Amino acid sequence: MELLKRKEDWKITYTHALGEVASWFYVQLRDNAKIYGRRCAKSGRVLVPPRAFSDQTLEPTTDWVEVGPGGKIEAFTIVYEPFENLPEPPYAFGYVQLDGADTAIGGFFKGVDLKDPHKAAEILKVGTRVTAKFADKRVGDVLDFWFELD
Amino acid sequence: MALNRKSAVIGSALFLPDRCKDKSLEEALYEIAQEAIRDAGLTMDEVDGIVVGSNDQFDGRAISVMMASGSVGGVDRDILSTPSSGEHAFVLGVLRVASGQFETQLVISWSLTEASSLSEAQRLGADPYFHRRLPLDEGSAFALQASVIGAAWPQAHDLATPILIKNRGNGAKAYPGAAGAKVDRQSVDSSRPKRWPLREAMLPPPAAGIVALVIASDAHIEERGIKNPAWIRGMGWATETGFLGDRDLKSAPALDAAAERAYEEAGITDPRKALDLVELTDATPYQELLVYDRLGLSSPDKWQSDVNGGSFSADGGLPVNLSGGVAAYNPVFCTGLMRIAEAANQIRGKAGAHQKNGAKLALAHAASGFAMQYQTVLVFGAERGE
Repeated sequence: MELLKRKEDWKITYTHALGEVASWFYVQLRDNAKIYGRRCAKSGRVLVPPRAFSDQTLEPTTDWVEVGPGGKIEAFTIVYEPFENLPEPPYAFGYVQLDGADTAIGGFFKGVDLKDPHKAAEILKVGTRVTAKFADKRVGDVLDFWFELD
Repeated sequence: MALNRKSAVIGSALFLPDRCKDKSLEEALYEIAQEAIRDAGLTMDEVDGIVVGSNDQFDGRAISVMMASGSVGGVDRDILSTPSSGEHAFVLGVLRVASGQFETQLVISWSLTEASSLSEAQRLGADPYFHRRLPLDEGSAFALQASVIGAAWPQAHDLATPILIKNRGNGAKAYPGAAGAKVDRQSVDSSRPKRWPLREAMLPPPAAGIVALVIASDAHIEERGIKNPAWIRGMGWATETGFLGDRDLKSAPALDAAAERAYEEAGITDPRKALDLVELTDATPYQELLVYDRLGLSSPDKWQSDVNGGSFSADGGLPVNLSGGVAAYNPVFCTGLMRIAEAANQIRGKAGAHQKNGAKLALAHAASGFAMQYQTVLVFGAERGE
């Protein structure tokens, strides 16, 4: 028999509240091209991206600490498939532990030739030093910065 | 900490993509739930409660219990739902029986491929503050984890292909209609890069699936004289933080915690010797290696000899993923409950083409979320245990 299918396409827009901590972080990023973390007084760890509390100690974080712009690659991948609202692949992204931070923040790697994945992976290997670079025109978003190899 | 009461899996049913393909989700759920209940020798009136695990983003339906209740017998009955993972639905089912309030539970989980892109649906799993704007789906998270495992233990890159060949070979035998075909080194190494270091062959395509299991108390099993229950001898589960950058992706503290509890309950001190088989969540071959290590099956310095020596092959000393694992058949959201069903079915002697004769003790490992955020370990035994 004839079996039918029904196509549904929903478009819902969410406006998420960022809260005080993420708001302050993005304002600094947007206005001053600086990346900050939050220190947990109990453990001494500096959390980047910043959090209002540590999910390890469950204590509120207490002060802002400027981190980077240098850091080292903790994890990376090279993406060869398109995502919606993202650049055309291939591109590299991953996590970088910025100097002064105890956790890593996600971002794109730029300035690496990705044609040969083996060669690119050798260049982007875990532990490699990178520096955060900032867009001239910043909007207060994680895409305002990216990482380039030193 | 032992559970208050012993329980076991007494019924199961699996939906594979080559079956009921012309049915709506609700029709397929009805069929699989009924089959699992029949397999347990029960009628719906004898099922004391139902636990459902499903993913709203994948389904395109909000709050699965609302649509699933009728299909799985939940109308006017006790039914609960969890969106975290299929294996968590199983944990809840076991705990409900252990509570002494219930004698039987139906656990059911599923995963659909009706969304235009599961990758985009998975991106909703990332927080909207710092991660939603990144290309972060499960495949990307798996690749990030693979990069960390490969950096710590470079032999992992060489062993990924033989592990994949093993699992796909097992899957082709276990589920010839549903699993991906066998692969060889050439086809793996020449498959296109998808999320480096993962090639297309290492990221199994999403498939539809439904898994239903029936859990019963020791009292019920004794009363009914059920001959082949898969006794739950040990169970542990734990969760890591949601922020990937906070985690060391080459360690798996949640798995350590889950395994420690499951082994302690089951009285296992040397899992490599004690277990007859393992079903683990191998969303990538790198994850399989990490799980070998954290479950105490093979440390990184032994990976090479164990993998290349066939220790974990179908005819090896400790077969891992006789079903083919996730590599062969990837119903994304219910892969964890699939592993649990496979291990339980082996103990019940109902695994089918890939049955291991005389399996007495089997381990199921389930992992869900970005880079194995949720970890669950089950040990099933043919004997009830103390």
